[in-house]
Amino acid sequence: LRRCLISMDIHHMEKSFQGIKTAVQAKDSFQNITILSASETLYNITSSDVCCMTKDVLQFYVDKVFRNHEESDPRIQRGLSTIANSFLHIRNALEQCRSQKNCYCRKETTSKFQLIVRNYEQMEVKAAAIKSLGELDILLSWISRNYQPKATT
Amino acid sequence: DEAVILPAPPDLSVHSTNMKHILTWSPVIVPGETVNYSVEYQGEYERYYTSSHWIPSSWCSSISTPECNVTDDITATVAYNFRVKAILGTQSSAWSTLKELFNRNSTVLTSPRMKIIKDGYHLIVEFEDMGPYFEFNVTYWKKSPNSQELYKIVREGGSLEHLVTMEAGAEYCVKAQTVVEIIERSSAFNQVECIRAQDESHLL
Amino acid sequence: SAPCFSNGLPKPTNVTFSSVNMKNVLQWNSPESLRGAEVVYTVQYLIYGQKRWLNKSECRNINRTSCDLSYETYDHEEQYYGRVKAIWGKHCSKWAETERFNPWLETQIGPPVVALTPGEKSISVVLTAPQKWKRNAEDTSISMHQIYPNMKYNVSIYNSKTSKKWYKFVINYTLELSLLESETLYCISVQVYVPGPLRKTKPSEKQCITTLKDKTSELKV
Repeated sequence: LRRCLISMDIHHMEKSFQGIKTAVQAKDSFQNITILSASETLYNITSSDVCCMTKDVLQFYVDKVFRNHEESDPRIQRGLSTIANSFLHIRNALEQCRSQKNCYCRKETTSKFQLIVRNYEQMEVKAAAIKSLGELDILLSWISRNYQPKATT
Repeated sequence: DEAVILPAPPDLSVHSTNMKHILTWSPVIVPGETVNYSVEYQGEYERYYTSSHWIPSSWCSSISTPECNVTDDITATVAYNFRVKAILGTQSSAWSTLKELFNRNSTVLTSPRMKIIKDGYHLIVEFEDMGPYFEFNVTYWKKSPNSQELYKIVREGGSLEHLVTMEAGAEYCVKAQTVVEIIERSSAFNQVECIRAQDESHLL
Repeated sequence: SAPCFSNGLPKPTNVTFSSVNMKNVLQWNSPESLRGAEVVYTVQYLIYGQKRWLNKSECRNINRTSCDLSYETYDHEEQYYGRVKAIWGKHCSKWAETERFNPWLETQIGPPVVALTPGEKSISVVLTAPQKWKRNAEDTSISMHQIYPNMKYNVSIYNSKTSKKWYKFVINYTLELSLLESETLYCISVQVYVPGPLRKTKPSEKQCITTLKDKTSELKV
């Protein structure tokens, strides 16, 4: 991944999520289900596959997760907006990496990403969206650890 | 939308310096009345991935001055739009929006205010606290023929940071620029400042 | 344990994890109205995403208001919930739960061990990184540096003669402060710095040390 360095505001995203974590996770009543299944998906990714997994997971969040959650509390809206717009910025940056041919997906990485999508689609759509939003700390920690050199503000 | 009686606030624009973003507009004047304003924003995500959803600004849901600090709303490096409406009692104007979208990577970066002091042989530097996005790229050198420039990143302002242990009697010079990683930009260097280490005899 | 009737006994309050270097202790307040009564507590925990709540046998019918769950929450890549209920005779409260606990994000990183050695015009500083909580004393230690690779140290140096205090960011474990003033008291404290929002860290106790007498000045007099 370090061949595909992008600057990102990871700490502000983490700070935004920290501010809404309690409220968002409290709306998730399925404590015994996880969508990211981080130990089977994210934590098993080799560094060369991080770029592609990041791109796919961010696209998944932008296309499905944020879209399928309606939020009435302005404070939570602002927190989620920060993360959604930051994900867009990162994904646009990763698109340039893809065009430079160093963000390709190997088969086992694609199957790990598909496990996430399957977990999501096994739940009712609103419950799946709020659970995925509640797991943003897991995703942001994983991104932070994998983009160490540039992931600073 | 509500009945349109008041004129929409004109001349909406964003002024941004050192990652502080201020939205301003021309006031709507109603003699003898206080007109309030409400501000909302949307980023690229809201524009393209929702049905153009608008989010209430953090600090300006009902204000009476024609200006709003939107620094806490612009929290990603994407294009943002703002809209403002005037409110008088139960009446509201139409929304007015920015002529051009605003991206924080266009903020004006000024060179940093810097103070250099010495504690014995130790050269110490202090920068103003410019907020969480700012680091300082410091260049320093000993003033002598064919001396070499050295570099150091100071992570945050507002505290005295050790730069170098000086040689007795030598003069050292320092200059610095701000670095804002998330928009991948730096300011111009500031004025060079020099300081001389005391002679060896001083310490005996 | 004998079944109890969950019929309105007030729940424990403020159920949270207190965590330093991944030593994760569940703690709570006793229900207001039961203060002084012979109340005992029973604790369970859940690994987020797994099916069942699990018992902590050492924390069944206890009368203290804390329970060390470090062993059960040792994998800092997972997230956890803890819960506790109050039992008074045949009556028991409903469960009171924590928020989802993420050790990697929420543990407080303790100070390093700081060893100072004075020279005539120098002080050598040797740091030992804080260690992750160990399941067994004989387990090999895991440094918090292994868990947070971008961990740095912010060393503060106070010169008592000039009353100036300055800082030095250090990445590795040794720091040689040279060309100091001899026979001068310096006070040093070190705090771990890990980039990231609201990362809680605790500074080391301030240690003061006096640099030695300068022998060369004696020869010159």
